[in-house]
Amino acid sequence: MTLRVTGLKRRHGAVQAVDDVSFQVGAGEIFGLLGPNGAGKTTTVDCILGLTRPDAGSIAVCGVDALRQPRAARANIGAVLQATGLPDKITPREALSLFSHLSFPSPGPRFAGPEDKLQRESNLLLLERFGLTEKTDSYYDTLSGGQKQRLALALAFVGEPALLVLDEPTAGLDPQMRRDLHDHIRAMKQSGHAVLLTTHDMEEAQSLCDRIAVIARGRIVATGTPGELIAGSGNSLEDVILRLTR
Amino acid sequence: MTALLHLTALSLTLNFRNRTAIVYGYLFPLVFLVAFWAIYRNDTVPLALHVGQLLTVTALGGACFGLPTTIVSERERGVWRRYALTPAPRWIFIAAILAARYVLLLTAALLQLALALAFGMPLPLHLFGLWVGFSFVAFAFMGLGMAIAMLVDNVPSVQALGQCIFLPMLIIGGVAVRLSSLPDWAQHLSAFFPGRYAVEALQACATGPGLSRVGFDLAALALTALAGGIAATGMFRWDKSFAPNKAWLLVALGLWLAVGAVAEVQGRAIVTASEDTRDVGTSKDYVAPKAVAAPETSWRDVTEADFDKIAWDRLPPDGGIVSPVARADETPDPSLTDQLDKVQSALPGWVPGNIPDPVQRARNLLAIAAVPDILQMEQVERFVPRLVFARLQAVIPPRDLPKILYWIAMHPDAGDDSAIRQLQPLGLPDLRGPAKPARGRIMLYAFKLLGRLTGHIPPL
Repeated sequence: MTLRVTGLKRRHGAVQAVDDVSFQVGAGEIFGLLGPNGAGKTTTVDCILGLTRPDAGSIAVCGVDALRQPRAARANIGAVLQATGLPDKITPREALSLFSHLSFPSPGPRFAGPEDKLQRESNLLLLERFGLTEKTDSYYDTLSGGQKQRLALALAFVGEPALLVLDEPTAGLDPQMRRDLHDHIRAMKQSGHAVLLTTHDMEEAQSLCDRIAVIARGRIVATGTPGELIAGSGNSLEDVILRLTR
Repeated sequence: MTALLHLTALSLTLNFRNRTAIVYGYLFPLVFLVAFWAIYRNDTVPLALHVGQLLTVTALGGACFGLPTTIVSERERGVWRRYALTPAPRWIFIAAILAARYVLLLTAALLQLALALAFGMPLPLHLFGLWVGFSFVAFAFMGLGMAIAMLVDNVPSVQALGQCIFLPMLIIGGVAVRLSSLPDWAQHLSAFFPGRYAVEALQACATGPGLSRVGFDLAALALTALAGGIAATGMFRWDKSFAPNKAWLLVALGLWLAVGAVAEVQGRAIVTASEDTRDVGTSKDYVAPKAVAAPETSWRDVTEADFDKIAWDRLPPDGGIVSPVARADETPDPSLTDQLDKVQSALPGWVPGNIPDPVQRARNLLAIAAVPDILQMEQVERFVPRLVFARLQAVIPPRDLPKILYWIAMHPDAGDDSAIRQLQPLGLPDLRGPAKPARGRIMLYAFKLLGRLTGHIPPL
């Protein structure tokens, strides 16, 4: 398993934000984490990424204990979060170069070594793959919302991580951009990456995810493929989620 | 290491793409410089006595406003949260932002010094010491800036908290207003602000004895940096949604208070320095009212009768601010020994002190005493006249020396004054400003040394 989360708990003051959450994501799988606002999705993701330390439970990324060795675990994770950004005057080329330098665990020859020709070519390929070639040297604050999101995806791919964590990656995008991004996410799955996707969008979850965990009030209340969840208790995935999280 | 260098270089690049940052980082220090120059334009030496204040304001603004503003605005926009997702260790980000800020502060200071030199300020006396001192100042204030950045959530809060530190430090902390001009209560309070230690350390390197006399100031700045670093590390957060552990702030405050307390215990809080801008008058002010005019033909025409015309009691006291001379039984502080030894050892080879014309030779030698007096080089200015006196006696025949000193004293505006800009081989700063004040001090020292030769003033 690429990601294994077991018995995760995290309290924010009086609120039990995450309560005994467990799930696994394998290579070549898109796993959706669905739930309403405040259900515990972001806290779970923050724990996996090492931004928040859980009160209890364990997280393993590619077999690495993420709580004991958070930096080693992060070397296997690419992430696109809602509340992240880049400096206004950085260009996509510079951003990829920077994150190439930051994305290898230390100490080691790759981390310490200079940015080589191979890395530069790899970065240019990433820009091409995410349709940013024309914006290679444009400042970040001149990019459209979709271009910024595609750059965030490109940055998540630096270092070819085994696990991609996407927190509502299509929020605020127009339909065409959403469709493009869905294609990119499917391509990730095809190339063998494990993908953890959080979303509000039922249609998106149904069309992209191999399996879904429904989370409400910090607990996972159902897990299965979209088909299993619909067959088990409703006419549509939306009905299922509304019933389970009521 | 390449990640650190890469992030540092990128931070600098991004800074230079930000017009606001350039205005605050580079233009504002120059505006301060021009303002100081305008305020103190009547100083005998342009800006030299305010280098410590100017560079401190530059470091203070860049480190207590620029640094936390950059960090907090990036953190607000999720840049630091994005950095946190990489496997790079936290120290790389902190070191890179400090290294980039240090380069920005240093270049701003160099730009400021360059403009000050263009305005006529003499080259700072201890350039290496000034760099070391400025580094201490920069890191002390960057420690404060980092603590501010970790404490507050948004940019307006940085401005508010920054002003709370910046303005008191400027006004009653010995930065914009000289300590000697402040009331006692403010001087006691200033001992708890790092600004005064910054000014003292930098000024000592610009016109004083250098780092050797500012050990306490450097220690205070190092402790300030350490305290800020401890607080910032303890309160570090990638995202404003994580509350900082403010208990670390108490540790920092404790250290800052300890610095002030030690200064108080050691009696360092109150200072009584003053700057020297006064007009010393003309030779007529130092001769008896009924005396006839000085001989106009040649110094060789001077007689002992002329010496009696001098009103010796009108000369400034040796223990005063103008034209001071150390008492015969005084010994210089050990920290001054190196500097005085350098002057003494370089004197025989100093070209202006060996020219054929004995009057100009003596005038040049007297300039060595005059310039440190104008620059208010603390203790040095009191001991240099002794060396000058000994050298005068060595290079001018005893029969001629009193006549020549009298001639110089009575003709302060005659001869060449270029020696005041040739003092660096002696380990002393050049005087870049107007020569007239230096000529006045040459006159006074000529009178005072003549008085010692003639027995009107107790010997050295």
